[in-house]
Order: sequence, then C-alpha cells, then structure tokens
Amino acid sequence: MAARVLVLASILIFSCFAETCYGVISFSSLQRTLVVTASHRQGLLKAGEDKITVRWGLNQSFPAGTDSSYKTIKVQLCYAPISQVDRAWRKTEDHLNKDKTCQFKIVKKPYTNVNETLEWTIERDVPTATFFIRAYALDSDDHEVAYGQNTDAEKKTNLFEIQAITGRHVSLDIASVCFSAFSVVSLMGFFFMEKRKARKSQQ
Amino acid sequence: MEIEGQATVKESQPPKFALLVDSEHKATEFHLFSSAAPHMRAFHLSWISFFSCFVSTFAAPPLLPIIRDNLNLTATDIGNAGVASVSGAVFARIAMGTACDLFGPRLASASLILLTAPAVYFTSIASSPISFLLVRFFTGFSLATFVSAQFWMSSMFSGPVVGTANGVAAGWGNLGGGATQLIMPLVFSLIRDIGAVKFTAWRVAFFIPALFQTLSAFAILIFGQDLPDGNYQRLQNSGNKQKDKFSRVFYHGITNYRGWILALTYGYCFGVELTVDNIIAEYFYDRFNLKLHTAGIIAASFGLANIVSRPAGGVLSDMMAKRFGMRGRLWALWAVQTLGGVFCIILGQVGSLTASIVVMIVFSVFVQAACGLTFGVVPFVSRRSLGVISGMTGGGGNVGAVLTQLIFFKGSKYSKETGITLMGVMIVCCTLPIFLIYFPQWGGMFCGPSSEKIATEEDYYLSEWSSKEQGKGLHQASLKFADNSRSERGRRVHSQTLPSNATPSANV
Repeated sequence: MAARVLVLASILIFSCFAETCYGVISFSSLQRTLVVTASHRQGLLKAGEDKITVRWGLNQSFPAGTDSSYKTIKVQLCYAPISQVDRAWRKTEDHLNKDKTCQFKIVKKPYTNVNETLEWTIERDVPTATFFIRAYALDSDDHEVAYGQNTDAEKKTNLFEIQAITGRHVSLDIASVCFSAFSVVSLMGFFFMEKRKARKSQQ
Repeated sequence: MEIEGQATVKESQPPKFALLVDSEHKATEFHLFSSAAPHMRAFHLSWISFFSCFVSTFAAPPLLPIIRDNLNLTATDIGNAGVASVSGAVFARIAMGTACDLFGPRLASASLILLTAPAVYFTSIASSPISFLLVRFFTGFSLATFVSAQFWMSSMFSGPVVGTANGVAAGWGNLGGGATQLIMPLVFSLIRDIGAVKFTAWRVAFFIPALFQTLSAFAILIFGQDLPDGNYQRLQNSGNKQKDKFSRVFYHGITNYRGWILALTYGYCFGVELTVDNIIAEYFYDRFNLKLHTAGIIAASFGLANIVSRPAGGVLSDMMAKRFGMRGRLWALWAVQTLGGVFCIILGQVGSLTASIVVMIVFSVFVQAACGLTFGVVPFVSRRSLGVISGMTGGGGNVGAVLTQLIFFKGSKYSKETGITLMGVMIVCCTLPIFLIYFPQWGGMFCGPSSEKIATEEDYYLSEWSSKEQGKGLHQASLKFADNSRSERGRRVHSQTLPSNATPSANV
C-alpha cells in the first residue's frame, strides 16, 4: 500500500518536471538573435488608417547556422510597460504560455534567411496604448527558439502610440437619443391617460 | 378581472378569482403555468420585467474584455464601474419601497424601468472611463424593481405560498444576471459576423437589453394591476383603500430592528450574488485563459442556477413554516446562508478549472436559496410598511455588493482568488445576526414565543397603528393580515382556537 502511494507520488512529481522540459518555454531562455526595426510617420498613429513598416532579419554578428532550427517567423504588436499598469490582462510573464504582452499578430510566415520588410496597416481592433514590435522565431514544433524586438531590453526606446477607433457612429448616437426620448415621453403619456381615466370614472 | 369601484360591494357577492383566495383576496395557491389575472398575471409581469433589468445592469461584464480596450479602462476603472452599478440601487430600493406603499407597485416599477432605459441606450455611446461609470451607475437604479416585484407578490399571494411566489419571481428575475452572460456575447458575435468591427459591435449589442426593458414596462402598464381588487388609484378614489401617510409608513419601517438585521444579512447573500455577477466572467477569462464565449457560458451558469435555487429557498421556507412556523424559516435561512459562505471560501482556494466550476455551482445554489429564504421572512416583519421593509432589505443587498466590491475587488490589491475567499469569510460572519431576530408571537431561533401575556399576531401588527388611526378604521387590512398570518405558528396553530369573527378562506 505504501509502495503504491510512493509510486503514485513520484509519478506526479516527475510529471511536473516533465512539463518544464516539454511544454513551458520561458522568455528569458530565448536568445535575441533577430534584428527588428519599425518605421512609421511622426505623431499619434491611427488604428485602421496608418501603416507601420516592419523590417526583420538575423543579426549578422551571430555565427552562421544559428538559424538552422528556425522554420517560422511570427511578428507581433506588444504592449509597452506603461500600458500594462493596473491592467492584469496585459501582464508580462516569463513563461510564454502565460505571457500576455503581445496580443496582436502582425504576420506569421515561413522563415527565410534574408532580411524581410512588411508594410502593415494597423488593424481596427487595436486599442489606444503604447506599443513596440517583437518577432519570434519558431521551430518545426511551433515552439519559440529566438526573438528580436525594435526596443531595448527595458522596453523604453522606440515605442510608439496608437489611437484606437471609437467604434461610434452618428447613426448609433441618433438612435440612442431617439429611443431614450421615446421611453420618457411614453411614460408621461401613460400617466396622462391614467389620470384621464380616473377622472372619468369619478364623474 | 376588476370589480367596479362601488362603495356598496357586499361580502355576499364575492368576486370570482381563478385561484383560491383568503379574506384579503390574496391567492393561497400558486399555479406556475397559469397566467390568470390578477394573481398569476402579476407574477409573470413582475418576473419578466425584473429579469430585463438584471439583463441590462449586468450586460457590460461579459463584454468587458472588449470594452476595456475600446474605452482604455484600467482595473481600477472597471472596479469603480462595478461598484457604481450596484450602489445606485441602495437608495433607489428604499425609495421604491415607499413608492409602492404610496402609489402601488404597477406605477412605481413601470416608471422606474422607463426612466432607467435611457441609461442603457446611452451605454452605446460611452467613450471614456467616466461615461462608462455613469451609464453603469444609472442603469443600476433599475435593480430597484426587485422591491416592487416582491411587494407585488406579497400583495397578491398569502402566507402559505408567499415564500414560493417571492422566491420564484425574484429567482427568475435574478436569472437575468446569468442569462445576460450568454446573451450579450452571442449578440455581440452575431453583429460582428454581420460585418461590424469589434468596437462597434458591442455598442449595437446594448440596444437589445434596452429594448427588452422598454417593452416590459409597457406590458406592466397595460396588463398589470396593483391588488387583487384593482389599482390603487381607483380603489382610493372609491374609498375601498385608504391613502396612507408617507411619514408614518416610513417611520414604522425604519424603527423595526428586524428590517435592519435582514438588510445586513441580505447584503451577504444577494450582495454576494451581484458581486459575483460582476467579476466572474473576467475571473474565468483571465485565470484560465478561456475564450470570451466560454468564460461567458461558465459565468452564466452561476446566475442560471437561479431558475431553481432561489425558488427552492422560498419553497423550503414555506415548508419549514408549515411544520415549525417562523422559527423554522429563521433556522433554515441561517443554515443555508452559512453553508454558502463556506463554499465561497472553498471556491477561492481551488485552482483547477473543473473544480472551480463545480464549487461555483454549489456555492450559487446555497447563496441564491438564502435569498429566497430571506424573502420568506420579510413579508411578516411589517404589514403597514411592507414596502419600506422590502426596500430596506433589498437596499441592504446592494450595500453588501458595494462594500464587498470596494474592499476585495477594486484595483489590484487582492488577486481575485483571495478576494473570493475573504468574501466567503465575511458571509459567515455577517449571517450571525439572524440569531437576534425575535417575534413576540412566534419566537426567534433560540427562544419560543413570549409567554408573559399571550402575545398575538394582532398585537404585533396593530402596534403599527395609533389608537386614533384605529379609531378611524385605517387598520382593517392589517387586522385581516394578522389573522391570515396565524399559519406562522407552525403545527401549533391547530391547537389554538380561532377568534369567532375570523373569516375562513373564501372559495370560488
């Protein structure tokens, strides 16, 4: 009986360790081998309208063959620390499975050995916040093996701000006001009719 | 089914009702699948309108992952809006109680619903954290329809079934808090699939609860009536109902200590329910990395349990009363609510998705049954100031929600799991005051009825009327109620001789 409990316990413990070997990749274990730059017009960028030109490629100062396991490149729009304050749903975690820093995918395509450029129109569901761009290199199992970003390690330089669309339309505004007015007016109408009925029944 | 307001109506021509009634023409039976006027029709109107108010008030939480990005909200902004959504109703519920006593539940509830509908329409055009907070604040006022629903049920249904009627009406109304977690994400995806962008789709989605709310108010005005015998205004004009004085009604309500105790304890069953409605979708979405849709379904199951759990509380209250009288109602309330607190503590501790869902459902059953049990006791606390007591208790529910969200769920001080556990501890502590409730004619949890003089139901309910008012005959309705409430003695009622002028239940 005790032996069975021991076996069960050790299986449980080992499976925890196995998880760290297989599933959970930590950001701090990745090498920064990619160079990423982003260029855009001056000032506040507008979602749905403005474009960002993203360039990425392997940092040539690394030895040849560093990118032998890179199969796919995933470029993402990521929140800068200032936009993560008091917002736990954007928190940075070392375990990439739990990390919520980068929530918008710019592009995901097969990795090529040359420097690539992409002109990306900012999608209309991007919120108002401060961002930077990060690229992950993925291996054939779709696991992250390396990264690059257009800002420094503290995520303080080269940040840019995006202004979201409001989502409001004039027709919505008008409909809201009209329906609200209708509710209040109809209530007054009912009261008026009740008073008239009560006065009639008293006569 | 209205009788003409003639001052000469005699008891020899009793009006015909579809259900069995007592001497006040309140129904002594409850037929869920009937909509016969006036009793069951009032029931269906009140639960549907209350349901729509719940849908509107909690329409924002399931869509928060979208709204928080559109309006650039922080966790503090979200917490503040959550507090605001339940704080408006604190005073609105007390005001509503008084309005029901004075103007009748039909006009009081329909007015409130139509006056808060604009807040729901304006949610579609909110553009900042402040405007979001304001629309949630004003929309929350509509939760005061709870008081009118309970008042209406207590006016239409008699002692043996009042707990059941109150429990089902309120439970099916509270269902709105769960249904909205399913409805809103669904409506949102439909609109988005038609082609709208995310930040527009959620805005359009808000028109659905707003329209539903408006239409339910129209239904109340067209099809409802205040009392089995007619509407307040007509009955007052014909002399069949005396118009009461606001100051006296209010005074007798707030000076009854039982109202204050129930207000506190209701804050820790219903208040907790409101809090969970506000935080649970985001909790599952963020903690377990679920899709918006999935988090909504899980969150919905909390509120959806109301379809049976709150009514079960009401039914349990009535069953306990049949056997043990008011003392049974009080014991059941304390036990069920304390167990709810225990399961809340456990919910904050479990870490796996499946365990969380299971514990959450068990917790919801107990907490909602406690709400149903509370309103098995409320109709007996006062007859003259029924509305004020209902309003105080209901308002207390919202105070509990405000306090709980302020202490445990604002900003980033406690993680949501810790907040949930601490909330459970607070439930257990704030349920203890039920020990202090005592009715001289029926007893309390630990003491039997007063034996100094034989305390009667008449003594208790007529103490709300001065001898001058009794001289004018204003207390007749309370007298009838006192007689009908003798069933709260439990099995003992069969050993008492009834007074000779008691009218037996009127049969059709």
